[in-house]
Amino acid sequence: MERRDFFKRALTVAGSAAVGASTLEAAETVHPVDNRKVSDIAFPQKRPLITYSDRPPLLETPREVFTSALTPNDLFFVRWHMPIIPNYINSNKFHISINGLVEKEIKISLKELKTKFEQVELTAVLQCGGNSRTAFNPTASGIQWGIGAMGCARWKGVRLKDVLKKAGLKKEAAWIGFNGEDKAVYNETANFVRELNLEHLNDNVILAYEMNGEDLPYLNGYPLRLIIPGFYSDSWIKMISNITATKEKQKLHFMENAYRIPDNECECETPDQLAQKTKPIEKMNVNSIIGYPVTGTKVRNTSDLVVRGVAFDGGHGIEKVQISIDGGKMWEDALLDDGSEGKYAYRAFKYEFKPKNSGKLTIMCRASNKKGEEQPFAKDIKWNRGGYKYNGIDEVIVEVVS
Amino acid sequence: MINKLLFIVLLMSTTLFAQVEGGITVPYIDFPMKPGKGMYSTRGKCNMCHSWGYTLNQGLQSKKFWHDKVMKMIVVFKAPIKTKKDIDTVVNYLFENYGNGKLE
Repeated sequence: MERRDFFKRALTVAGSAAVGASTLEAAETVHPVDNRKVSDIAFPQKRPLITYSDRPPLLETPREVFTSALTPNDLFFVRWHMPIIPNYINSNKFHISINGLVEKEIKISLKELKTKFEQVELTAVLQCGGNSRTAFNPTASGIQWGIGAMGCARWKGVRLKDVLKKAGLKKEAAWIGFNGEDKAVYNETANFVRELNLEHLNDNVILAYEMNGEDLPYLNGYPLRLIIPGFYSDSWIKMISNITATKEKQKLHFMENAYRIPDNECECETPDQLAQKTKPIEKMNVNSIIGYPVTGTKVRNTSDLVVRGVAFDGGHGIEKVQISIDGGKMWEDALLDDGSEGKYAYRAFKYEFKPKNSGKLTIMCRASNKKGEEQPFAKDIKWNRGGYKYNGIDEVIVEVVS
Repeated sequence: MINKLLFIVLLMSTTLFAQVEGGITVPYIDFPMKPGKGMYSTRGKCNMCHSWGYTLNQGLQSKKFWHDKVMKMIVVFKAPIKTKKDIDTVVNYLFENYGNGKLE
């Protein structure tokens, strides 16, 4: 039986049950919380999603969506930091300012971006660094996401490089700071500003105004957002309206304290011995998720089961995805799509088989990339205080009936 | 026939406009707080800036975690929680209702 009714399921917000698996043995990483219900209230331009907060909006995509290379806009996850988001943007008047260490401080309108610059398009995965944070034990700091704080879209816009060139970066400029239109309640509170070191600037970093052939959804950063393919989404500033070039890194909470992991070989630490030195999370590691079936799906032992899902990494490219139906002892290759969306996109995969025995059956998927990196088992992932970069082998448990 | 085709081609080549020209409204979602000592005080101090969902979806946490969070709200985000008594009220409410039983 296929479960096409997940949008209509008995619906509650993720209001009362944000409980991690904290009763398990200390420090053993587990599978992230799965199958949370979507809310019965839809946000603007969205279908009902798993809802953690309305102010600021925090919405997670349900597992069932992850069966194709592109994630529909109305199912795409949402994560804002500041609670006050303008509820009206006049696209005719909107412009972005470029200032700081530039030859000429300029403002560029949305129309100018669309007409005076080379238009580029690329497909890239947007994933929160804390995606699947519920896997960590003891409970790590931050929103207790399941597996759906991610999505993949075709972005259209202009190269950040071209925009900076128009203003003319001064020689001493080394950091580019980005600020969006979202604000805190108090004026004294600093904005959510992120910075990119110029060494990470390449042709693929774009200011996008279109997502999957449509204007960006409001909650995904309308009318303009930054796209940094291969990187976690902490710097993909939404509703971006200001870019400042500086020589020195600014002292910013969201750069100095947030989105950082231990700067050691295992990128790990323990709660009683936190790492002294940390580094930004930056590049995404290899990951894959099963979109169908989901845990609880009932399948007949006589019918062919087609497992579908998505795999991605930080841009090395996916080499293979393998499926195990015996708890991770034997692995067989899944069939990958043609990869035409490029190396920063999801690769959709499928694997067909006929379940033999009745009862509960665990299906696992494991991706590896062209650099030879392979997903570890969930239990082998080491803890970090922010609960970042979880990429354990995914699993769903179906019920085979005769 | 040609007109119809032209129309379809035009439709396909035009970007679909987001429906935000007239603005949007983010819905209010109720995230009930567990009743307990200090709930009203905590509501006033935390929910002024963000939803209760943002708080409770941090998961069940230690007393140190909640204390550090409250201090972060004050120091980094300038939350107007001024006195030690107010800080204690909020931290105790959080730990008693959203705690994991561990002090650290």
